Amino acid sequence: MARKLRVRVDHATCVGNAMCEAIAPKVFRLNENRQSEAVDPDGDTVEKILEAAESCPVSAIFVEDAETGEQLFP
Amino acid sequence: MVTAVHDDMFTPNVIADPYGYYGRLRDEDPVHWNDNYALWVITRHDDVTWLTRHHELFSSAVFKNDPRPAYPDIDESDLGLYEYVRHYQGDQFIQHDRPVHLDMRRIMHGYFTPKAMESWRPFVVSAVKELLDAAEEKGSMDVMRDLATPLPVLVIAQMMGVPAQDRPYVRELAEKLLYIGRGEYDRMPILTDGMKGMLEYVSPLVDERIVKPGDDFISVLAGGEKKGVFTRHQVLVNTSLLLLAGHETTINLLCNGTLAFMQHRDQWELFKEDPAGRAKWATEECLRYDAPVKSIQRLASQDLEMRDKVMHKEDRIRWFISSANRDPNVFADPDRLTSRGSQTRTSPLATGFTIASGRPWRASRARKCSRLWPSASRDCRSRLKSSNINPASPSGR
Repeated sequence: MARKLRVRVDHATCVGNAMCEAIAPKVFRLNENRQSEAVDPDGDTVEKILEAAESCPVSAIFVEDAETGEQLFP
Repeated sequence: MVTAVHDDMFTPNVIADPYGYYGRLRDEDPVHWNDNYALWVITRHDDVTWLTRHHELFSSAVFKNDPRPAYPDIDESDLGLYEYVRHYQGDQFIQHDRPVHLDMRRIMHGYFTPKAMESWRPFVVSAVKELLDAAEEKGSMDVMRDLATPLPVLVIAQMMGVPAQDRPYVRELAEKLLYIGRGEYDRMPILTDGMKGMLEYVSPLVDERIVKPGDDFISVLAGGEKKGVFTRHQVLVNTSLLLLAGHETTINLLCNGTLAFMQHRDQWELFKEDPAGRAKWATEECLRYDAPVKSIQRLASQDLEMRDKVMHKEDRIRWFISSANRDPNVFADPDRLTSRGSQTRTSPLATGFTIASGRPWRASRARKCSRLWPSASRDCRSRLKSSNINPASPSGR
C-alpha cells in the first residue's frame, strides 16, 4: 500500500524554478505568483515526489509521512 | 518619467560604485530605457522577481537573436570573432527557452542538487585548507590570487575529470574565458582563443566518455549526446559554461565577500564567534550585499507593458540583481552587511525558471570557505592592516 505523504513548498524560499513541476506535474503546479504548490500529494509515486524535492535548488520542498509525521525530505 | 541619471553604465565611477548609480535609477525611473546601449534597465526587487518568473515573456536566446552589436564596443576588425562568440555562447543550455531548455536541464540537474553538492564537501574543504595553509606559511595573502582564483578551477577540474597534468592548461583556458565579462575593446581575440582551446581540449574526452562513462560532469553531458538531447558542440560549450560560470562567480563572491567583511568589522567579529553556525548567513548576506553576477539580460518575446512603459518584441532587457538586492522596500538597512533574521531574499544568482543550476554548488563552496576562514586566517589577518590590504576590484559586469 502506497505511503500517504504530506508535501509542502515553503513560499519564503521558493524562487519558481519549476523543476518540481517538470518532474511531477500532477503533484506540483505553479500558482499565480509563479511559485510551486503541492496541489495533489497523491498524484505521483513517493519516488517521483522525493526526486522532485531533491531537485529543488533552494530546498524549498518538505515531504513527510502523513500518518507518522516522519520527515522524509530533506 | 525622465531621469537626470546618465546612460553611460561603463564609466569607472559606475563600475566602482554600481549601487549608487542603479539605486538612483531605482528611485527615479525603475523601468528605464538606456539610449546609449538600447536596453531596458530594471532595478526594483518586485519588478526583477516578476520578470524572472514570467519566462515566457522574456527569451534567453539572447546571443542567437539579438541583432545589435556587442557592448561595450569592440574593435571593428573583430566583428567576425564576435560572430564566433555568438554561436558558441548561443548554443549553451542557458541560452535556450522552454521546452528545449527543460530537456537539456534535466540531463544535468541531478549533478547540481543540494544533496549532490553536499558530497563535495570533503574535497572542497581540503582544497580550501591547502590554499590557506600555503598562505599562512607565507605570512600574507592576496585573497584573489591565492584563494579565490585557484579554488574554483581545482574543484571544477575535478568535476570535469581532467587529468592532473592538464590542470594548468585548463586554468589558462578559464582565465581566457573570463573575458566574456570584461569591457576591453580588444577582448575578442583572447576570448575566442580560450573558446577554441576548450573545444579542442574537451572533444576527445567526450569521445572517451560516451563509450566509457565515469561519474564526472563531462560523462553526464556525453550521456545527453548519446540520448540525442545534445549535439557535440552543445556538450563542449556547456562544459565551457561550467568552467566559466563556476570560476568567475566564485572569484567574485569570495573576493567581494571578504572585502565586505573588511568594510564591516563589527560583522566580522560576530562571524568569528561562531563560523560554523554563521557560515550560511555569511554566504547569503554576501550574495545579497554584493552579488557575483550583477545583471542578467533577456530579449522581450512579445510587446508588453511595465509600469506604463511599452517594451517591444526583441527589445533588450537587463535586470539588475545588484540593485534589487539593495531595495529598501524589501531589505532594512540594505546598504550595510547585517544579520537579517528571516527576511525574504532575492535569489542572488538568478531567480525564477532559469535559476543558475550551480547555485547550491557556489553557495556551498563559499560556505565551506567561510567556515575555515576565521580560524585558518587568524594569524594572517592580524598582520593585514588597512594599508596592506589588496582589495579585489568590484565586479563590473
